Amino acid sequence: MTGIIFDHKEFAVFDGPGPRQTVFFKGCPLRCSWCHNPEGLCAHPQLMVSNASCAHCGNCIRICTHETCIACGDCVHVCPLHLRSIAGETVTAGELAGRILKNADYYAAYGGGVTFSGGEPLMQAAFLGEVLRLLPGVHCAVETSGYCQPSLFQEITALLDYVIMDIKLFDETRHRHFTGVSNRLILQNALGLCEGQIPFVIRIPVIPGVNDTDENYRQTAAFLSGARNLVRVEFLPYHKTAGAKYSMAGMEYQPQFDPEGSIHISQEIFGEYGIRSVIL
Amino acid sequence: MRERIRKMRDFFIVRKEHHIFRQTPGNPGLLAADFARHHIPATDRSAMRLLSVLRQETPVLFPEERIVFTRTVRTIPELFTPEETAELKSSYWIHERGDVSNINADYTRLLYMGLVPKKQELEILRERFAASGQEENAHYITLQIQILDGILELTHRYRVLALQQGNEAVAETLSRVPAQPPRNFPEALQMFRILHFVMWCGGNYHNTIGRFDQYMYPYLAKDLEEGLYNEEDALELLEEFFLTFNRDSDLYPGMQQGDNGQSIVLGGRCESGADGFNLLSRLCLQASLELKVIDPKINLRVHSDTPLETYRLGTELTKQGLGFPQYSNDDIVIPGLTNLGYAPADACNYAVAACWEFIIPGTAMDIPNIEALSFAKAVADAVENALEGSDSYDAFYRRVRENIYTQSEELCERVKNVYLYPAPYLSLMMDGCCENARDISLGCRYNNYGIHGTGLSTAADSLAAIRKFVFEEKKVSAAELKKALKQDFSGYEQLCTLLRYEAPKFGNNDDYVDEIASLLLADFAGALKGKKNDRGGIFRAGTGTAMYYLWHTKDLPASPDGRHQGEALGCNYSPSLFSRCKGPVSIIRSFAKPDLKETINGGPLTLELHDTVFRTEESTEKVALLVKSFMDLGGHQLQLNAVNRDTMLDAQKHPEHYRNLIVRVWGWSGYFVELDKEYQDHIIQRMELAM
Repeated sequence: MTGIIFDHKEFAVFDGPGPRQTVFFKGCPLRCSWCHNPEGLCAHPQLMVSNASCAHCGNCIRICTHETCIACGDCVHVCPLHLRSIAGETVTAGELAGRILKNADYYAAYGGGVTFSGGEPLMQAAFLGEVLRLLPGVHCAVETSGYCQPSLFQEITALLDYVIMDIKLFDETRHRHFTGVSNRLILQNALGLCEGQIPFVIRIPVIPGVNDTDENYRQTAAFLSGARNLVRVEFLPYHKTAGAKYSMAGMEYQPQFDPEGSIHISQEIFGEYGIRSVIL
Repeated sequence: MRERIRKMRDFFIVRKEHHIFRQTPGNPGLLAADFARHHIPATDRSAMRLLSVLRQETPVLFPEERIVFTRTVRTIPELFTPEETAELKSSYWIHERGDVSNINADYTRLLYMGLVPKKQELEILRERFAASGQEENAHYITLQIQILDGILELTHRYRVLALQQGNEAVAETLSRVPAQPPRNFPEALQMFRILHFVMWCGGNYHNTIGRFDQYMYPYLAKDLEEGLYNEEDALELLEEFFLTFNRDSDLYPGMQQGDNGQSIVLGGRCESGADGFNLLSRLCLQASLELKVIDPKINLRVHSDTPLETYRLGTELTKQGLGFPQYSNDDIVIPGLTNLGYAPADACNYAVAACWEFIIPGTAMDIPNIEALSFAKAVADAVENALEGSDSYDAFYRRVRENIYTQSEELCERVKNVYLYPAPYLSLMMDGCCENARDISLGCRYNNYGIHGTGLSTAADSLAAIRKFVFEEKKVSAAELKKALKQDFSGYEQLCTLLRYEAPKFGNNDDYVDEIASLLLADFAGALKGKKNDRGGIFRAGTGTAMYYLWHTKDLPASPDGRHQGEALGCNYSPSLFSRCKGPVSIIRSFAKPDLKETINGGPLTLELHDTVFRTEESTEKVALLVKSFMDLGGHQLQLNAVNRDTMLDAQKHPEHYRNLIVRVWGWSGYFVELDKEYQDHIIQRMELAM
């Protein structure tokens, strides 16, 4: 079985316990307007072009034989400045597991492991499951939106040691407005985590004017209150640089909020519910 | 940081108000002309120069000062006239400026004894020499006695001024030290300040402070036990002491401001094997963390028993973006030095020279940066002369090895007949110098020469590309590659891109190329093994480059790793500048593979991490683990940079030097130079707020 990944980063320090390697799965069912990994949205390989230091030599134009880009990669090899790449590599579960295992002992020695992120790793749940089954003894985590059929979610989390999941917005209407999907499945899966056995973290990307209200925090805190395996809540404050990769992916960054706006964080509200929180 | 220190930092470092007390610059050649006219011997010149500077010094005291001595003399006179210097250079190998530099004086030889008792000891020696008709030796000792008198005389003038200004604490301290040995930590710090100050006045530069926390700790421990003051008071004093290293540093010679060799070594195994990291080591880290000044530059010795907490304290300091501590691994360095012939006790007591080289306090007159081998040239010459005729990669590599041996041979031949300017003051703190009336410039127990190695990654990457594309995949013929390099890839752009971006690169945890790098280093060590210099010492191979990497770039043609002619080589022990490495873990794993005990002259792996990885306590601890992992894997020396705004600004101007600069933008990391300018500016802006 194969899957599509778009990155494999070393030494991630914010993706779970210990130092970790993080694999980014391509494709996401959500369309959050603050998304900072636009090349993770589309489920297929795509061309990424960095124009910052392009010398306009024309090599890429000369070699191209297609009217619309099919991400064939021909132009990648001719760029003298190495400004082009294909985001999205098709790998078999065995190949990916092999790459992870190459450094797995290293991370394990320092209390870390591997984290599957994206995109949405659960969008390739069957592939992820197969990879996880090839990694016995490796500390495995996911960073997920939680948008997934609960049966599948349970099947995958049963193979994991740690879950990092977003609750971006508690209100369903607003969630649908800002992410394109309902949060019904997400909350259902979060409830599964609250009642389950796996340590988990809830993340809130703090977006100005979108979800940074006491009301949203209070609803989220009340929902999570009492969950025994909740490690903590992590706030990820929005930064203006979120749009940096859009032009590389040939997309336009169109946030539906004021990116210049200040953000509000309340750790106190979570404290009231006995929930530890940190700001990353 | 206490208010008193904050004010002092502001006064000396930010506003530099003490500069107004500096005298007008002198003519550096006047004294030498006088020396030449009177045919004064070199050793006398050295002593007389130092004495003249000490006499010319005017004491200055600043409000609330407790540790005094500030330079007012700007110009340290030359020892020789330009004509004499030219003549010396034609008959000798003159290393750098000629003055004794880059050694670690054993300060305790004066510190623990006091100058008056030392004088008494010298007087006995002088009588003994005189009695046995060794007039020259007796004269040498006289010069040393005069130097001690000169120091005491300047101290006296400082004391008089302190009394006049009502600074009783200083007056009291100076009534004791440096004449007599210090009774407590404050006196010891004042005495060290004087010893160090005098060293600079004598023209001796780049000499490390050494294992400060080891030789100073007994004073602090005793004071705390007696309850003279508490830890916070000690920290305050230490901070004032650290500021003294930054007062006059713009007057010190160096390649650039800050390159002044004021390094300090903390921690490390004791001879018993126990961890020597003590309370003073911790306070030094804390003082440096609070002060955020560039001197002293901290080296942290670590080993397999170093607790994670020590790495964590070091990482807190790295977070400040000053580029230290630099870590060295006792478990590699000590056996490495022992293999080279250093006595186990000396090896165990190693310090770090001005930059990275491992040197021995008090017993070594090593010149650890005397020359450098060019790995890239060894490959370039082999491509030029042997690639076409080689029927296999192994045959080709044999030619590279031959070149390494030939270059090494030439380097060892070239560095003969070294002449160092006499340094009678430094000799007071070096083993055997007084007893034998033999100046340190003539040598000490160890007289080894260190040879740096430049362009290791360029060479390894070039060889990997040749092996893969010429011999294995036959994508390019030897003749064609040679032609492409000769034309600096003009007309071969596609080949250049292939070599540059699609060949294996050292730093990706890829045995294919990592093993080549290991072999190159092993051959470098092998080429120097058994060679003797004309001072009876040996040659030490190392992974540092110093400035040689720039000099070696000059005559180098384009290289088979896709590097254009004129493009810089990497600095020290690091991946090539344009190789895209997968990340810090791969770099660490690759660079720990060679047997670094064999190339232990010094030269760190340099890693640049974006300072957002230091954002939380938890993430900072993970960086500490990263450092520890390099040591666990057998790494020898590591220097980390928390990349900050200045780096980013420079990266905008020179993106070609920052291909590996990773920035965390938000939830993701990217290559800084690939971001649109708008976003680069955003990050730079954010850096302004970061602390």
